[in-house]
Amino acid sequence: MTKTTSTAGQAAGSPDAPDYPRTSGPSLSGPGPAGRAAAELDATIAGIEHRLAAWAAEAGAALAALSGKVTGTAVDKLIRPVVEELVQLPDGYAAGAGFIANAGLLGPGRSYIAWWQGPDLEPVDALANFSPNSISRYVKAEWFRIPVETGQAHVTGPYVDFLCSDEYVLTFTHPVFTRPDGPVAGIVGIDVTVQRLERGAMPALRRIGARATLVNADGRAVVSAAPDIDAGDLTAPEAPCTHYSVGRTFTVWSDAAGL
Amino acid sequence: MLLSPKDASRSLAAVFTPIKSRGLVDEVCGRIEQAVETGLLTSGQRLPNETELAAALGVSAVTAREALSQLRASGIIRTARGRSGGSFIADNVLPSRERALAQLHGLSRLQIRDLALHYQAIAAACAGVAARRSDAADIATLRSFIPAMDDDPLSWRLALSEFLLEVAAIARSARLARELIRLQADLGTLTLLPCADAGYRGRTTLLLEDVAAAIEAHQPGASETGVKALISATTDWLLTEQAKRY
Repeated sequence: MTKTTSTAGQAAGSPDAPDYPRTSGPSLSGPGPAGRAAAELDATIAGIEHRLAAWAAEAGAALAALSGKVTGTAVDKLIRPVVEELVQLPDGYAAGAGFIANAGLLGPGRSYIAWWQGPDLEPVDALANFSPNSISRYVKAEWFRIPVETGQAHVTGPYVDFLCSDEYVLTFTHPVFTRPDGPVAGIVGIDVTVQRLERGAMPALRRIGARATLVNADGRAVVSAAPDIDAGDLTAPEAPCTHYSVGRTFTVWSDAAGL
Repeated sequence: MLLSPKDASRSLAAVFTPIKSRGLVDEVCGRIEQAVETGLLTSGQRLPNETELAAALGVSAVTAREALSQLRASGIIRTARGRSGGSFIADNVLPSRERALAQLHGLSRLQIRDLALHYQAIAAACAGVAARRSDAADIATLRSFIPAMDDDPLSWRLALSEFLLEVAAIARSARLARELIRLQADLGTLTLLPCADAGYRGRTTLLLEDVAAAIEAHQPGASETGVKALISATTDWLLTEQAKRY
């Protein structure tokens, strides 16, 4: 298996990268300290997203190389070493990671879960692989359904993850293809706890502003520097306020107000 | 008299209480029972053998063997010999009314009340925060858990516990959600009993709609009151039923 270039949690961009072109908003600011802090957050999230995309491509090629004889043992052998690397990375963000097969890959109507969490690689949903109807646990879950339906990467949350960690998490998922035009073979995903993200993001947020807030696409706070905004609260940007794009779907508002 | 730190005998007593943990075997059995309850494993289905089960759950083969034998003794699995042999989920393992009644009569009135108080405290805390954090998608999901009047008692029971878990999910507190799951496990099959009663189903449906409306309208007070009333409806039913024994 080939090593990929960036690893989750490590900044994808170089430290002296020029300013970020995707920054937008009413009062567009230059590179300055706030702009650089926002670029740092973007690099963290984009780093996770790039690592996942590279893993999806790798896993797709490896599954295709099995030429139709996909077994649970073979999937474990492909996926586990990558999960091990991701969750054991000293400064990594992954609390858990893995692959979930779409119906059809291992047999009609059958699912297969190769997902582990924590530094001890605890298997997740261990009994599900013995169940004939385990796929029904996943088809409706946002982190499975959307990448399968759209063929695009997706971030779910933050949400309380009842299925794996019982923690407040973000789940980054990416479809896996064995042929470019083929059906989705499954998804790879990385769970990032909001707690881990808070530790990583807070210093940069404070440099952006005393009320700087990282929000998801719905405007729900993930991490906030404002004492009265908690993870999970709905917020709105306070005008005038700079908006910085973070990863594919997140935004940092330099100034946020709780709803 | 004020309790000074060196006289803090009450908190110290807790420190020196022996730790009683459920054994690994019980833990494995619990997982299998839970998988049956939630429909992940169904009647007649073949279970993995000792080695596979041990590998999946990260326990020793000895633990897996003991767990299978304990599950066999309690009638949850049956074992067939021969070429197509192995362990299978038994045909009649779903929670039964008889088993629920036996559990109800094994509890004291005090235990039921105390459990209900704890359940109300946690669920009401969830409802209060949920009312602050809900969005339109949350409400749509929450309403999808309100069961139809004529659903069978098993589906009703599942829908009721899922409804409250969804309230916890909307609150987005992992600690409260975990506590709620634990309390629902403590209540066990008990909640199956009132779900067989049409009167209870009627009252509960109205309460579920009230709770969803209060969470949608961002009214923490009304949401908390609604959830407490919902849990009271269940406890009152159980206490009335239990009193018939005397």
